[in-house]
This record gives sequence, structure tokens and C-alpha cells, in this order.
Amino acid sequence: MHRLTRGLRLSSLLLATSVLALGAASSANAAGDLIIAVQASIEPANLDYQVDPYTTTILFDSFVTDPLVIVAPDGTYQPALATEWEIAPDAKTFTFKLRDDVIFQDGTPFNAEAVKYNFERILAPETASTQLAGNIGPLKEVQVVDEFTVRFVYDEPWVNFMDVARKAPLWSPTAAAASTPQEFDKLLVGTGPFKFSEWVPNDHITFVKWDEYGGWNSVQEHEGPALLDSVTIRFIGEPAVLGTVVDAGEAHIGFQIPALSTDMYVDSDRASLLSKGQAGTGLSMVMNVRKPPLDNKNVRQALLYGRDMAQINDLLYDGLYEPSDGPLNNIHRCFWPGATDMYPNDPAKAAQLLDEAGWKDDGSGIRKASGVAGVEDGTPLVVRWQTLHHQEIGEALQAQLRGIGMDLQVQVIPGPVQLQEVQERTFDIMYERLRSTDPKILDDIWNPAYDRPGGWYWSGYVNDELTALLKEVASNPDDATRCEAAKSAQEIIMEEALMVPTLSDPSFIAVDNSVKGFKLGAEGTFFFLHDVTIEE
Amino acid sequence: MGSYILGRIIQLIPVLFLISVIVFGIMHLLPGDPALLMLAGAEGGAIPPERLAQLREQMGLNDPLLVQFWHFISGAVVGDLGESLRFREPVLAMILDRLGSTVELAVAGLFCSLLIGVPLGILASVRQGGWIDTICMTLSYLGASLPVYWLGLILVFFFAFNLGWFPSSGGGSIEQLILPALSLGLINAGLIARLVRSSMVEVLGEDYMRTGRAKGLPPRLLLWRHGIKNAMIPVVTMVGLQFGNMLAGTVVTETVFSRPGVGRLIVNAIIAKDYPLVQGAVLLLAVIYVSVNLLVDILYAFLDPRIRYGR
Repeated sequence: MHRLTRGLRLSSLLLATSVLALGAASSANAAGDLIIAVQASIEPANLDYQVDPYTTTILFDSFVTDPLVIVAPDGTYQPALATEWEIAPDAKTFTFKLRDDVIFQDGTPFNAEAVKYNFERILAPETASTQLAGNIGPLKEVQVVDEFTVRFVYDEPWVNFMDVARKAPLWSPTAAAASTPQEFDKLLVGTGPFKFSEWVPNDHITFVKWDEYGGWNSVQEHEGPALLDSVTIRFIGEPAVLGTVVDAGEAHIGFQIPALSTDMYVDSDRASLLSKGQAGTGLSMVMNVRKPPLDNKNVRQALLYGRDMAQINDLLYDGLYEPSDGPLNNIHRCFWPGATDMYPNDPAKAAQLLDEAGWKDDGSGIRKASGVAGVEDGTPLVVRWQTLHHQEIGEALQAQLRGIGMDLQVQVIPGPVQLQEVQERTFDIMYERLRSTDPKILDDIWNPAYDRPGGWYWSGYVNDELTALLKEVASNPDDATRCEAAKSAQEIIMEEALMVPTLSDPSFIAVDNSVKGFKLGAEGTFFFLHDVTIEE
Repeated sequence: MGSYILGRIIQLIPVLFLISVIVFGIMHLLPGDPALLMLAGAEGGAIPPERLAQLREQMGLNDPLLVQFWHFISGAVVGDLGESLRFREPVLAMILDRLGSTVELAVAGLFCSLLIGVPLGILASVRQGGWIDTICMTLSYLGASLPVYWLGLILVFFFAFNLGWFPSSGGGSIEQLILPALSLGLINAGLIARLVRSSMVEVLGEDYMRTGRAKGLPPRLLLWRHGIKNAMIPVVTMVGLQFGNMLAGTVVTETVFSRPGVGRLIVNAIIAKDYPLVQGAVLLLAVIYVSVNLLVDILYAFLDPRIRYGR
């Protein structure tokens, strides 16, 4: 395979819109076997999102079945198997009108009973749903209003339900009932454009076109079945290899390639580079305020004044990562803009705050405690920075914080150790990242109600005003009010310096020029293949 | 011969038991709660304590360690290695599904290492002290010193991406086997070359070789019939040990080349703290390793009768 000319004009490509319709589908070139290379680390354990907790599973399930609604590339909810829906003002009742012309891939009809069956299956203990059941929450009942109308009823407001409705895969009740939840992920039968064909774990998953598909998804621009013959997902273990497979002609799409591999696709005449931010918390680090030295607000604020994330972005990623200045990242619809200017790089201010907190500069480079409550005098100012990945951010920050006399010790830890440190509350600063366009993730992370195993409340910070705001975020049916409450909550979190915002890592996607009609979703973790063709 | 083999098999029992104790112990000493890890999904939302408790009970994590170990070991004896915590599938079936790919890679890697290492060692020994010897030994040192991870990546970028001769990743075809086998083989070829050379040098200096030369045997005949044949005896033992190295090497190689084998399965299972899967996979690889070495011992005893009679 020949090498392609590389250039430096990446920035223009990175401004690509979230929807990249590379061209109209040509019926003369309507067939094709699409190969998508992805990181091996995102391979699910179970291909059924009703069981498995991972975002990738939602993506793969979307090939095989359509949900009730979709989040279109513009970020709005659009019809899929539901044509319209009504949310009660108190957010306790959600009514969906269903399409009446849909069948499952096994020929059985799709109707309200099928939807009811699926939600009851998700909540059944034997399904052991590790994520979706929790997202559905305290659902009181699923009512079959008529053959094509279904209603979900809660006793309390559940504003997150639309997010559930777009994620929950809907399977043929006949097929699902014929096997156990653990076996069904090799037999998926849905209503989507592709039929599940084969899964060789650690290697690939193959989907083949379902000829009976009726285009029951508003993102699809043409009538009838999908245009591709098959889709193969290949799992690549080595990131450097993943970054090169499209350039080498071994795959049509390289999904979430490493930032350092993006250079080869700039000005390439073989492939395009797409970039899409991931709304959520960004690569955020939460501080444990239960113990010294981060129990002191001055120390926490000093840390934030001591960093220069723009410099780190340039240094490590050629500026390709996106700023993330607050508890929600800058591209999140409920981001609080005040966070951007709250802690400019100001080493002098940081030094002053540390002096006031009793951490004195003795000329050795690292400050020592002098009269700090709960800390023996002479103890150096050491803060542990524990992360699952992106340790280079911690290392660059370590160099910056040396300048204010803080010794940041960077540790890369596996997931189990992260959970243990969180449970035992022994960490100082821990990687904690959630991805969602919904501000509810603020409630998950900062509400003390979730101070329990598996919960995301790690910081130990308690503030009644903040908790009240988070309650609004979690339960107010009015989206604008929720967003405002989320912004106020972020202001408190930043004022108290409870976390270290760093950067946001966009999804980088390399797409071979032969691929037409590829659509990125509203989030960097999702895409649509309904209109894709391959032109050789 | 039969009693020798029986004796060797009996010796394997405590070895395997110790391996299972070590693997079980290490996995349970590592921090982290696998039930929590399973439930802590990627998108937020706290887990009700009762769900966590229920899952821990289902997974048998509330049982005392000795009870958990007994379940593991008693099941293993009858081929039941339990169920993967993450995949919820029988461990044995998962391993057997991937074992073919791993054994294929290990055998191919061994084949490569012999194909490269043996001729290199012979060539160096017959040209002992000359420039060919120097080159061969330099190459062997180089091969033995390279990290398999680095070598694998270099092979991918050169032969797959630049030349496009072989696919960079995946499994199932001969083309997809060549680069990973070569990366494993090149590393171990260095060790084999050095062993073959030293063994050959020793044999070439033996009295019977001198006698052969004095009798006027053609050098090539002397080398093949009397030299190489005798020099290969220690190499046979080395091959058994090398097979273990190959199995260990697959853990890295399968990741670099994205091959669906047991090595990659183990790496992922360790990260996910999937106790039964790690224990089962390591135990099964250990069984294969000691079995291969048993076969080598038997072959060695067959080649050299002094061994089986304890002389």
C-alpha cells in the first residue's frame, strides 16, 4: 500500500460538521462490504445492551434494531419506531405512538406488546442488566394503550426517560424468549437494517443486510433496506495499528483512532478525517475533600491556578483536543461559560493561596506544611493524581505544578484499583469521566445520595444548596430550567474547586474516500450506516 | 520406559496444584471487587447496595476463600472451570474456542525459530571465529534482545503497511499467521542459534569426529551424520522450554496483531478481574506447558537411554 502525502492543514478538517454526507448514494454502486476498525478495548462482553453496560453495545445494537427514538446528528430526538410521543408535564408519564408497519427480522410483528415485553425483560432479575435497568429507574408499569400505543408510568418524575428510549434496543419477543439473556446476544433479532451474522470475540463482528428493512428510522434518507451488503467490525489491539489501517487500505473506517495518528489523514487523497467532541464531563479529575491536603479550599484553588491546559493541549496533542473548563465540558449544552475565566494560569496567586493555607516554600522546590491542621509540620505537599489513561496530562501538569511547589505524583491504575481507592476514600485526585448530553450526570457525580458502592459521588463534598440544585437537574421536567440549575451547580463546584477540568478528547474517525453517506451522530461515540455505500 | 513415564506424570500433580494455588491466590490478593466492576457501567447512576450484594452472592464472592478455591479446584479436575464473570459463558468453552489460534501461533513461532536458529547456529559453528560466525552471533544476540512488542510493530509497519505483503491483524488465515509467527520466532531464534552453536562446537571437538575425519569421511557426511545429530539432543530439551516461551509470548503478540487467542483473552480478563477466566486460562496453559515438557522428557529418554535408567 502506498503512503499518501501528508500535510499540516488539520484544523480545517477538524471543523467538519457532525453530519458528513460525503455524497449521494449511487444505485450503480449500491453494494459493498464495509469494514470498520475499532479499538479492541471497546469490545463488549455481551452484544445485547439490555444486558451489557457499554456505549459501544448501543452502537452495535443500532445496526440490528431500531429504538423508539433516535438522537439525530443535530442532537434532537427524532422518530424511529415511535412516530410521536408525549411527555406529561410532571415527567411521570411518557406515551409513544408506534409505527404500524414494522416487523422483526423473524417476521413477527412489532407492536406495543413487544415494547412492553422488552422493558419487562430489561427489568427482570434474570436478565441481570448491568446498566439499562438502572437507567430506567423506578418504572411503575408499562401500559399497552392499544396495539400501537404504549405508555410508561412512574411515581416520580423521571426526566431521563427519553435517553432510555433512544438507548434501549427492542428485540423480537419470540426470539428473545426462546433463549437465555446470555445466549441471545449471539442470536439478536431486531427491526434494524442489518441482521446479526457472526461474532468471533477478540476478532470481529459481522452484520449482513436485511432485505426486508423498511427504512423505519428518520435518519435514513432513502426508501427500503440499507445499501451495504455487510458490515464487519474489526477489533484492533494495538492503537498505532488502528491509526494506520485506513491509510493501509485494510479498513474503510478507523473509528476513534489515536490523536497521534491523525497527521497521516491530513490532506490525504485516500481518506478524510472527521472529529467529533463527546459531550459530558471531559477528561475530568475529581478531588477528595475528606482529607488533607485537598480538604483545604485554598490548596484546591491553588492547583487550578497553577495549571495551563491550553499549553498542555499544544504540547501533547498539537492543540487537537478540546478545552474542558468546567464540570460539564465546553461543548455540553448546559456548560457554564463562567468556568472558562475562573482560574486563569496565575502561579503568583497559587503561591499566595498555598502560603495562606500553611504550605510554605522552604527553598527546596516542594512546599512543606507549617501549622496545617491534621498534618505534621514539615510534611511535603504531595498530591496523588490517579488515572486510567491519558497519564501524559498528569505528567505535564506535574511539571507545571512544580512551579508552585506542589509535588503531583501521577499513577496509572486499572479500573478495579480505581474502584477500590474510591470505596476506601484513599485517593487525592481521581479520574472520573461520564459521557452524556444530559446534565443528569452532574447529579450522579455531585449528589451525596450516590455515596454508595458503584455510585459516582466520590469527592465527599456536601452542600445543601448544591444538592437542591442537583435535584432540579435530576427531576425538573422543564429542560431549560434543568440546564440553568446545572449551570448554577457548576458555578458552586468551580468556586469550591472540587475538580480539575483538563481537556476533552474528541473522537477522531478516518473514513476512506470510497465511503459515501457516512453520518456521525450527535456524540462522538455514535454513527449511522443507513445510507452508506462504497464506491470502488 | 512405562514406569519412567508414569513417574513423570505423577510428578506433574503437585506442580499443577501449586500453579492453581498461586494463580488463585494472586487473583484474590489483587485489589478491586469484581461484582462492583461488573455493575459499574460506563454511564453513571449509582448501584443499589442490594443489587451489589445479590451479585456478590450469585458470583460466590461471599464464600470463604478456601471454599472458593475448593469449588475451583474440584471443578477443574472434572473439566469444569466455572463461568466467566464478564461474559457469563463457560470458561472452558471460551478457552477452547481460542486455543486453536494460540497453539497455531506458538507452533508456527517455534517452527520459525527453528528454521532460522538451527541453520544460523550450525553455520556459526562450522565457521567458528570467522566473520560468518560473528555475523550470525550478532544477529542471534540482536534477536534475543529485542522486545517482542517492538519487533511486532516494526514487522506490521514494514511488511503490512509499507509493503502491503501481509495483513496487519486478525486471525484465521496463513497470511495472518506469518507476521506474528515471525515476530515470535525471530526473538527465540537467537536463543536457539546460540545453543546450537555451542553444542555443535562441543561435538565438533569430540574424539569421534576427529576419528571420522582421520578415516577420510567426507566433511558434509561427517557433519550431518555425526555432528548435527548429536548436537541436537540438548536442542530438543530447549524446544520444550521454548514452547512455554512461545505460549507466554502469545499474550503480547496476540495483542499487537489483534489475534483472537488465549493470550489476548487473559489480558482482557486480568483487566476486568474476571477470576474464573484468568484462573482457567492460566491453568490450562500450564497443563499444556508441562505436557509438552513431559513429551520432551519422554523423547529425550527415548533418544538417550541413560536418562530413563537414571544413569
